[in-house]
Amino acid sequence: MAQLFVDTREDVYRYLLTLGVHPPKAQETVQEVFLRLYSTLRKGEKIESLRGWVFRVAHNLGLKVRARQETEEAFEPQLERQLTAPAETVEQDLLEREKMVRFHRAVEDLSEQQKRCLFLRMEGLHYPEIASTLGISASAVGEFLRRAFLRLRKVRDE
Amino acid sequence: MSSFEMRHPEEDALLRCLDGELSGRKARQVERHLGTCGQCRTELEELKGTIADCANYQAMLAANLPEPPQPWRDLYRDFSRIDESLANDSLLVRVTRSLVHSGAPRWAVAGVSALLVVMGVYYQLRQTPSVQAATLLKRAVAVAEAKPPAVRRHIRVRTGTQQFTRAVGPQVAMMPAAQTAALILLFQAAHYDWNDPLSARAFQTWRDAQPEKTDTVTKVSIPQLPAETCTRIRTEAVEGDLAAASITFTADLAPVEERLEFRDQEWVELTEIADPSTGSSGGSVAQSVEEPVRAAEPPSRSAALSPGPSASISDELQVLSALNLIGADLGDPVEEKLSNGKVVVTMYEGVPPDHQKAIQELATHMPNVEVRMEAQVAAPAPAAAASAPATNSGPAPIQSSVEKKLGSHAEFERFSGMVLDLDEQSMQRVYALRRLAQKFPPDSEAQLSSKDLDLLRELSRKHTAVLAEKVGAMEHILVPMLTSLGGTAANARPAVQHASWQPAAEDIYGASNRVHLLVTQMLGATVGDSAGANLPSNLQAALKDLQANLDDCRRLVK
Repeated sequence: MAQLFVDTREDVYRYLLTLGVHPPKAQETVQEVFLRLYSTLRKGEKIESLRGWVFRVAHNLGLKVRARQETEEAFEPQLERQLTAPAETVEQDLLEREKMVRFHRAVEDLSEQQKRCLFLRMEGLHYPEIASTLGISASAVGEFLRRAFLRLRKVRDE
Repeated sequence: MSSFEMRHPEEDALLRCLDGELSGRKARQVERHLGTCGQCRTELEELKGTIADCANYQAMLAANLPEPPQPWRDLYRDFSRIDESLANDSLLVRVTRSLVHSGAPRWAVAGVSALLVVMGVYYQLRQTPSVQAATLLKRAVAVAEAKPPAVRRHIRVRTGTQQFTRAVGPQVAMMPAAQTAALILLFQAAHYDWNDPLSARAFQTWRDAQPEKTDTVTKVSIPQLPAETCTRIRTEAVEGDLAAASITFTADLAPVEERLEFRDQEWVELTEIADPSTGSSGGSVAQSVEEPVRAAEPPSRSAALSPGPSASISDELQVLSALNLIGADLGDPVEEKLSNGKVVVTMYEGVPPDHQKAIQELATHMPNVEVRMEAQVAAPAPAAAASAPATNSGPAPIQSSVEKKLGSHAEFERFSGMVLDLDEQSMQRVYALRRLAQKFPPDSEAQLSSKDLDLLRELSRKHTAVLAEKVGAMEHILVPMLTSLGGTAANARPAVQHASWQPAAEDIYGASNRVHLLVTQMLGATVGDSAGANLPSNLQAALKDLQANLDDCRRLVK
């Protein structure tokens, strides 16, 4: 359990940031998720995939936290600004950074569901686990991912 | 080429295939299609490129997103709060419910509830065993890490069959003694640190990895330290190879004793000793070592490997047993043979990295074993060769009939996926069993010691038991379908009773191959002469033959 917390907390935290939760709330949410996990296991409930469970609960809690943030803006990490910040880099790096900016924009342009499927896939979740997190079918996950990949692929061709 | 191979796979199938989300059968269909379709291969390469972009993007996110604003909280305290509240809740709920059900007056229910709340507050001042255990271990780890690392410690290791002293510590090289090889495998399988087993850290790491466990913490007095009160933590785990472990600490939180009880009845006791030459801790441990508390069970993994000057079939058996333990004897491209006085294990491309590591480890601890890596894949398994490449373009009539019975193409896919997966799992066992039968024919078997013979029988039993389960499941699915298609088992051969298990294993091999060929023909993975009207009866008879051969073999390896 402690090991799972150490191994997973940063991943879940990062996922919550991509969901628009502000950093302090995201960190609190991660801790809350693991307390819920402990409590659930102590009650003797069987959990098939602990990682899948953690992301599902984090996603649901994250959405609630984000909804409560309605007075403030959703968290925006300003990645593009960081990526385009002037730096002394060789031309190759510059090209890589430009490509990354284009890729980031393409990710931002994906539909919310496509983006969720993509981020959860990047965290190593299987399609049925992603499906259970988002409350959709595994075949829908396959379809969202296919469309997302189709759009991201265009960045390579540009 | 079959119709499945000619069609392009569904739009999301390539990504699913790369993500490992396709069933075994579907993945094989896609792979076969890729072998013949350049367009889909290009598509696949593009997808791989986009997946690599995603990985870079994820790395960029990790580097650029803000760090957590606070240090991470120590959740143990919160866990103890949860433990206490659960314990109180359940007691309160239980007692209140029983009072209400017994028809006690309302004032009595309220009074008892109030009393329980008071008791709960008192209870919160104490700790539950799991919290006590976690806290104690945490403190013991901190104590151990605050001390300067000992250059060398000595531990007495005792199992049901052997006893020896072992040096541990940062400057001690791994001891490649033959007697420890089997123990190392045992510890590895249980995910218990072999390098420093008698330590709070090793115990804590194992305990933390257990999703379901029960702890007890007791005060004990141990013979080697009669004047001191020690604390013992015992943790019983629901899953994993290690069923229970207990560790005993002195008042200064130094670990002095440990007992590990494995799920297969093996046990290992570790005792800290000060002077290995006398085997005593302050001169008292050697005397205090008792005879094993249980009768020494024959270990399922041979605990004593005694390699002679050159490798024998006994060594070969140990290697096969170790491969089985690792899980590398079921379809991994690994070969082993006796050559120039060594057991040479050859790994071809495609052995999973964790298996590779475990096999390399094996060679470190078994002096007569040499591990080689070869780039080329070994010759394909005969079952694959037996499957003739399909050449027709439409589904065979038998497939249409099956699909019609099942009601839809999707149902057919599900049905065939299940059957082909079971068939593949069965064939893996059949090959592993046949390999044993060929390596140890009756005359070689006669040269084995009784312990080795037990090991060989155990391996054979394991393979036949799983095979029986898979064949049973396959029959359960197939026979109703075959019967509905007009099949009978009338052509099954009369059962043959062998005198030894090896020829029975060979018969299993023959019968399984017939089943495999007919199943793949029926489901369109291959075409063949018998894909016609006789297939339902032929397959039903082949399944019955296989079952009879299997019964015969299981009788002989009992």
